[in-house]
Amino acid sequence: MLRFSLIFLSTLLLWAVTAQLNHALAPWRLYVFVGALAVTLPALTFPLKTGLLASFFGGLLFDAVAPVSFGTHALLFALTHAVVFNFRDRVPRDDTLSRVVIALFANLGLFLIFSFTQVARSPAPASLWPRLFADLACSQICLALIAPWFFAIQARALALLADDTHRYA
Amino acid sequence: MPKRFDQARPFLTLGLVVAAWLIVPTVIKTFTRASFFELTAPVSVAASYARDLKEYWSLRLRSNSELIEAGRDLARLNASYDLAVQQNVEMQGEIARLEAILRLPSYTGYRSEHARVVRRDFSGWWQRLTIRKGKNFNFTVGSPVVFSGGVVGRVSEVFAYTATVDLISSQTVRLAAVVEGDIRPMSYQGGLNPTFGSAGGVIEFVPLDIFASANATKRLVTSGLGGVFPPGLTIGSVIKVEPSTDGLFKSGEVKLDDRLAALTEVTVLVPLESY
Repeated sequence: MLRFSLIFLSTLLLWAVTAQLNHALAPWRLYVFVGALAVTLPALTFPLKTGLLASFFGGLLFDAVAPVSFGTHALLFALTHAVVFNFRDRVPRDDTLSRVVIALFANLGLFLIFSFTQVARSPAPASLWPRLFADLACSQICLALIAPWFFAIQARALALLADDTHRYA
Repeated sequence: MPKRFDQARPFLTLGLVVAAWLIVPTVIKTFTRASFFELTAPVSVAASYARDLKEYWSLRLRSNSELIEAGRDLARLNASYDLAVQQNVEMQGEIARLEAILRLPSYTGYRSEHARVVRRDFSGWWQRLTIRKGKNFNFTVGSPVVFSGGVVGRVSEVFAYTATVDLISSQTVRLAAVVEGDIRPMSYQGGLNPTFGSAGGVIEFVPLDIFASANATKRLVTSGLGGVFPPGLTIGSVIKVEPSTDGLFKSGEVKLDDRLAALTEVTVLVPLESY
């Protein structure tokens, strides 16, 4: 329960940071989405149920502030969690670089799937894609920059609970 | 446990989570959503107060002569606004007299409530603002939101002490509009938000005799139909119209005010009957 709470709080921190970043980027019409960061560490290190719940509730946090059906982000985060969890034993997952690469791929998938769910509402879907690709590029760059810091925060917070720092770090 | 089942276990668990979520009653989802939003609200509000404080201290660095100049400019502006208010009172009296004579239904009255912008959320998927007033100021869903340049959008959700506003550049906003000087309504919808460019929207059902181009724009204003927005508020400039595929109408593009992307304060028009 405590591990779940820490992951949820770290997701809240991630949301707060990206919300402020997006507020500042708004005049340039750029947007950053780094939702996969909330999923990566729980999917790579947690037992299935705890990690899945942490990812799901993290998604609900993103849902609460978005004009989408409540649960859209949560279910997509849970799906991403399940996919990453499924292949976590077949990829290197203990060093930061591989975690960042996994987060980048997860974010790419999340962004594209979410875009497909939203693009139908646009009056001119074709003109929306250049903007979405620019946002995606911006998001991936930001994710690569903040992922090591975010994983370190999560690992340090989790290390406070257990003496197995090496497991998360 | 067979290896094949073990590999499918994450997806079976996911399936259970999805099934459980689908049968959760809407009331619980609505309550959970409001709870999660209120959990995030203090973060955004605290950040906006911090920005205001930063702005206050930066303004404190201004010299006295700058303040005197600003005060003088403000006094001139106030004088011209005083005159406009007098004219406005006179015209409202005239409208009331005409409504009484012709037995016309009166326009909806509004109470203006200014609110600071807490958070801008301008993605390709949606365009929203969070403002620092909500149920504590009797805001209602659907209330029009304006600024000095015209329409900002409409209130989409109201929470305890914040509210969210769907911008007119958002694809979720659709309203009836007219070209200035014309009375025939057309449909406006937001949704064109290019990176580093001006936000825009599209218009449909434009009469065939209306022409506009980037060099000869036409001002698009609210029609007043639908009863949400008062008539005559600026939406943007029509920069392009072309015949639509059915040949009965035209469709076109609208360029919105660039200041929409950097708003720090807006005015919510709260309908008086809801107050």
